[in-house]
Formats: sequence, C-alpha cells, structure tokens
Amino acid sequence: MVAPPDNDVIWARSLHHSHNGSPGLGGVSVSVRDAEILAVTGPRGSGKTTLLHCLSGRLVPEQGEVWFNSVPVHTMAPRVREQLRRERFGWIGADPELVPELTTWENAALPLLLRGASHRAAKKAATEWLERLDIAALARKRPHALLQAERQRVSVARALCGQPTVLFADEPTATLHRAERSQLLRTLTAAARSHGITVVLATHDAEVAALADRTVPLLDGRRVATVALPGVPADTEGSAACSLSV
Amino acid sequence: MLALRLTRGTHPLVLVRRLLVAAASAGVGFLLLCSLGYASAHPASAGSVLRLLWCFVPLAATVMFAVAVARTDPSTRPRPGLSSVGLGPVRLSVLAAVSTAVSTTLGSMVALLFFLHLRGDLTGMPFDGGAAEFLGAGTPLPLAAALMLLSLVPVLSATASAVALRSRPDPARDTFGSEELPEPAPAPSGLPWGVALVALGLAVEAYASRDAAGSAFPLPGRFESTPVAVLAGWTLAAAGLAVAGPGLTYLCGRALQAVRPGAARLLAGRVLMDEARRIGRPLGIVCAVFAAVIAASALYGGDERPWGPLTALGAVVVLGCTVATLLTSALEAKQARAHTAESLLRMGAPASVLRAATALRAAALLALFAPLTWVIAELAALPLAK
Repeated sequence: MVAPPDNDVIWARSLHHSHNGSPGLGGVSVSVRDAEILAVTGPRGSGKTTLLHCLSGRLVPEQGEVWFNSVPVHTMAPRVREQLRRERFGWIGADPELVPELTTWENAALPLLLRGASHRAAKKAATEWLERLDIAALARKRPHALLQAERQRVSVARALCGQPTVLFADEPTATLHRAERSQLLRTLTAAARSHGITVVLATHDAEVAALADRTVPLLDGRRVATVALPGVPADTEGSAACSLSV
Repeated sequence: MLALRLTRGTHPLVLVRRLLVAAASAGVGFLLLCSLGYASAHPASAGSVLRLLWCFVPLAATVMFAVAVARTDPSTRPRPGLSSVGLGPVRLSVLAAVSTAVSTTLGSMVALLFFLHLRGDLTGMPFDGGAAEFLGAGTPLPLAAALMLLSLVPVLSATASAVALRSRPDPARDTFGSEELPEPAPAPSGLPWGVALVALGLAVEAYASRDAAGSAFPLPGRFESTPVAVLAGWTLAAAGLAVAGPGLTYLCGRALQAVRPGAARLLAGRVLMDEARRIGRPLGIVCAVFAAVIAASALYGGDERPWGPLTALGAVVVLGCTVATLLTSALEAKQARAHTAESLLRMGAPASVLRAATALRAAALLALFAPLTWVIAELAALPLAK
C-alpha cells in the first residue's frame, strides 16, 4: 500500500467498480488538492456519479483505494464512513432530496441537527446561509411550496451549512434553466473559495466545467485526455450504412 | 392472468398478508353460514336476524383489512414503466381488485368446506359432524342464500379496494425525473366531532341503562334482551373514537416536535403530523375495539355467561383484522417515506436517529391512546356494572 501525497485532500488510486456486473469504473485515479474546485466531466453514463459515490464513501469500490487526509476510506467500517460523510463531506445532487415534512430552514439545518448541535445554533447557521443564497424569505415554507430552483438552493444551503471539508456536487444544475444555473454556480463557487472548501463537481456541461481549477474527463468509466470523440463523417450516418435488419 | 403472474413473483411477506386476508374472509364466511344454518333450523326465531346483523362487524373489519393490504401491495403500485405502456393507476386498481377477490374467494371456499364438514355433510375426516346439532344439520341449506352470503366478502372488498386505489397519483405525470413532492394533507378536523360522539354515546348508554339496572345486556348470541339504546351508545362511542383518531395523532405529533427539538424529535413529530390520517383512523378503530373488549370482559368476566365459540371467533376476527390493518397502514406509511429515509441515510444520518424517531412515534401514540382506551372502556362499563 502506497501512502498518498500529503497535500491532497482526497486521493484515489485505480478505482474499479461495477453495478451488478454492468461496468461502472475501470481503473480511475484522481487526486483532489486542498481548496480547489475539480470538475469531473463526461457524457451521461461515463461513471461520474459512481466516481463521486466512491470518493465520498457512499460506495466502496470493488478494487482500488480512496484516502481522505491520509486516512483510508475504503477500509473504514460503515459507521465510521457514515460519520465521515456527516461531519466532513457535503453533497448536492441533481435532485434536491429535501425532507418534505420539514420547513426550509429545518432542511438546511438538518446536518447540524444530525450532528447533535443545539437547536438555536443550527437555526442561526441555517438562517445565515439562507440569507446568503437569497431565500431567507422562504425559511418557513415547506419544500412542496417552492420552485425547483429554490429547492436546489436550499439543498446548496444544506450542504454548506455543515461547513464541510469537501463538497461533492453531482450535476447540481441538471434540472435548472440557464439563468438559475449560472446564479447557483456563482454562489457555490464564491462560497467555496471564500470558505476554503474543496469542491468536486460532476458535470457534462463544458460551461460549468470552465468554472473549475482543473478538469478530469471521464469516458466509459476511464480517465481520458479529452472527451471529444473523432467526428463521424456525415455520409455514413444515413440508412444505407445501417446493415442491421430490424 | 397478469394478476396471477404478478402474484407468482411477489415477496413471501406479501403473500402472508394475502393469506391473512383469506383467513379473515374464511372466518367471516363461516360466521355468516352459521347464522344461515341457525336461521334455517329456527325459522320462527327473531334472534336469527340479529345473529346475521352481528356478523357485519367482522365483515366490516375484514373489508377494511383487505383494502389496507391492497394498498400496500407492491405489485399493484403505480410504476412509471408500467404507466408509460398504458397500465396506469386505473388499470392497476382493477388488478388489485382481482387479486383481492381471489384471496377472499379462497377464504370463502375454505369456510364453506369447513362448515359442511362440521355439519356432517362432507365425510372422511376427523370431527365429522362435530357440531351438527349446533349448525342446524337437520334442515337443508338454501343454496342461493349460502352463495350470496359467501360472495359478500369478495364483492365488497374487491369493490372497496378498486375504489380506494383509483385515486392514487400517476407516476407518469411526473415527467421531470425529479422527486415528486405532493401537497401535505391539511390538519385533520374531526377531533371535536369525535369527542362529541364519544360523550354522546356514553351519555346515551348511561341513560338507557338507568331503567334496566341489574340486567346487564347479553353478549351477541343471546340477543333477545339486548337493550337497543345501550348498543347504540357503544356504537356511537366507538365511532367517536375512530373519528377522533386522526386528530389525536396529529396532536401527538405536534407535541413531539414542540420546544426546541433535536433531529430525532423533529423527524418523529413532523412525520406523525403528516401521517395523522393514515395512522390515526385505524388506530382509533383499534382503540374502539379494545375499549369494547375491555368493557365486555369487565361485564361478562364471570362464569355465568361464558363466551360462546362463535362469539369468540367473531371477536378474534375483529381484533385480528383491526390490529393487522393498523400494522399494514404503518407499513404503507413507511413505504411512502422510503425515498426520504434513503436520502437521509445517504446524507450520513445515523440509522439510530431514524430508529429513535420511529420508537418515539410509537411511544407517544401508546402513551396517549392506551390510557384513553382504558378510561373509555371503564366509562362504558360503569353504568352497566352497577
């Protein structure tokens, strides 16, 4: 076992994973430096989400190693991994995944409440983050009454409220329109830079990836130099080239 | 055929639930046939109508249980894949009705065989004609009446489950690909009505039993001297408890999440408030049944009026069905919240917090409803026991 470099927050080596036999990752190595924004790019099905799940300890890879601050994550017991996710990591998914029974501020304060923080402290922190994300007026509403963009902002507030070391964002803007998308990403990157939070951002969008410090392109579960495929000549695209009889 | 194919692939626990429905249906079918046998043996007796009427209590409990089981059946739950090929909530409700009808008809057939066997009409097994006298063996059984009584449970439960499942939301409507957030149900408003009904029922019963002091009303089985007003009082009180159930559950949830809650208390209370209707109604009915059982055993606990076998069977069916309905409704609530629980676990919420929330909910409901049931049972038994 090789000890990871010291300046990396997360260091993963030759991750292999398959979902019930369907290939997911085929030997991906990634290092994430402290306080950087790293974009993982690639088309749908290229293994971005699987990679983020492996890095954040939600999924144990079948082969390979994941280290967080020089601590091996892949050998941790499930309870310890759970605690790591709760206390050091934040997660923003494509779906907001809010708890429908709780109000907006309670949703945002949930990570702190789960850590056992006092009600007052959790409410204060959550309200501050909701103000920074311009949704403080909605603090007492429940998720069903919010727009999709507002729900997604609540999920960003929830992820940032816990003051995570690493924030994983898996296609955070997939269900949003362009105006809301750029605003959300600006807020997210500004907050990460000012608080020194490391961000691992999975996206298929080149515009979004341009906000990152570094880019890791994935294709079919492998790390590649560039995602751009050689162009297909136009004349072979027609029906004549299709020899399948169906 | 699709119903059978789906049944073949279901989880054993789901099949156990369906078997329980079949068993309840068998119990009710047997009771109905017994009342028919009694009626054909004693054509002049007024008690046979009352016997038949008493059978409707277990019948109602069985139909309720069958609907609850159909609601939690995973094979007839609306699914996006099936909905996009045209098998939406309406067609699936027909499927659910068919599988409910199959399991209840199975139960009715078992009841018929068992009844004929105990009467001595079918031979070749132990206890042939073991209760021939009791079940009116000497007289022929009217075929049409028997078939009609046996088809009551299947027809009623199939219709009820089809109607109950028609109005489920269509998953194909949710084209967004993201989670669906339905509007939460408003706070239940039945609590004042429920309290009023319970008070009215107890008052009616106390008033009616004033004259008939000393003659406690007999158990179902010997109805000839049953004071109707006392029965009406009990029924009103039971209905009141069922109406008040959701409101009380809501209050329970409200109290749980009050005053600076932590994560477990917050989740427990809010979920209870949202699930007040789903959990509260069967819980109120269970309380009403338990109150009736406590009151009845306080009144008739002595040896002079022992429980008859048919009364015991009816009581077991009613108790079993109502408790099973409550548990099935709790399961339905759990299924409805599975998505949220999963996302909480992914966020890193310890499983112990979720378990603590469930335990808190159960403890709060028990702390409210157990003393309430006992008090109402004591109040119901008080005027009759003097």
